[in-house]
Amino acid sequence: MNGEEPRLSTQEMLDRLAPSLSPWRRLRAVLALLAGLAGGAFVAALWWTEPGPLPARTQLAFAVLTVFCLAWAGYGCWLLTRRVPLFATDRVIAGWIALVASLVSTVGVTAIALQRGTGVGAAIGVGGVFVAVSLVLVVRAHARRALLLRLQRELTGKKQE
Amino acid sequence: MTDELLVVRAQLGEQAALAELVDRWRVPVWSYVRRMLDAQRADDVTQEVWLAVVRGLPRLRAPDRFVPWLFTIARHSVTDRLRAEYARAHEQVAPGESAVDDPVEAIADRAELIAALTRLPVLEREVLVLFYLEDLSVDDCAQICDVPVGTVKSRLNRARRMLREQWEERGYRS
Repeated sequence: MNGEEPRLSTQEMLDRLAPSLSPWRRLRAVLALLAGLAGGAFVAALWWTEPGPLPARTQLAFAVLTVFCLAWAGYGCWLLTRRVPLFATDRVIAGWIALVASLVSTVGVTAIALQRGTGVGAAIGVGGVFVAVSLVLVVRAHARRALLLRLQRELTGKKQE
Repeated sequence: MTDELLVVRAQLGEQAALAELVDRWRVPVWSYVRRMLDAQRADDVTQEVWLAVVRGLPRLRAPDRFVPWLFTIARHSVTDRLRAEYARAHEQVAPGESAVDDPVEAIADRAELIAALTRLPVLEREVLVLFYLEDLSVDDCAQICDVPVGTVKSRLNRARRMLREQWEERGYRS
């Protein structure tokens, strides 16, 4: 056992880790989550604000579409929590993407509700929750990044002293 | 540059800092894993460890505790591979064994220690590797192994006694 070396060099190890660190993979995870949630809210809003009773096939189609969107949201959530690391700067970017997506979705769903003259309150309520959660994520991401930057300055200063 | 600064920079998203951390700790992590597993599994498990480190690094709240955190992840990966062996070792630990606070003695040269390690039970082997080969403190060993400090000390004592017995036995034969 003595004198043995790891089979993988540093570069080879980094190459193996590269898929997890790929910016595209991180962006894909964020987009899958947001598109799933926004799409789910959009389809659900269309479904709920239908003025008359719907045929069974249409009900089924709405249900399938909603489940499809939620499945994408679940996939994005799984990627972000289990597979893809979001570093401090990534979290700030992801937070802003979430906020913009929430605002656009809320405006879109509310416009549909207004056009149909029903469910405006529900659309604004659900959209408001999305926007509020996104805002919290943005504030937390900025706070975490600021903390790390401060720590970096302190440690760099300590090293130079 | 300190590990803590590298961890902070890596947590901010700087890939060069992460690469530097991997470069700095690649061999120590592999050495620990290799003392616990055979060569083939050691390479696979080391890769698993670094994957878990990369995924968990954004959530590490105390950058100054990077090294114990890193070896805790390594230990979890090793434990997963040696689950049966760890379970058997826990059953064999004598209850109520006292924690003797002996001063650390220079017991052998490094090569001799490494050769003898392979014959030790898994719990004693891991504290010896962490304490002597990775130069971690008893407190850090306790955190990594998720046991009280006293248990680490008693395992170290037991491991030293086992090593001494091995060497005495070999001395009689030679």
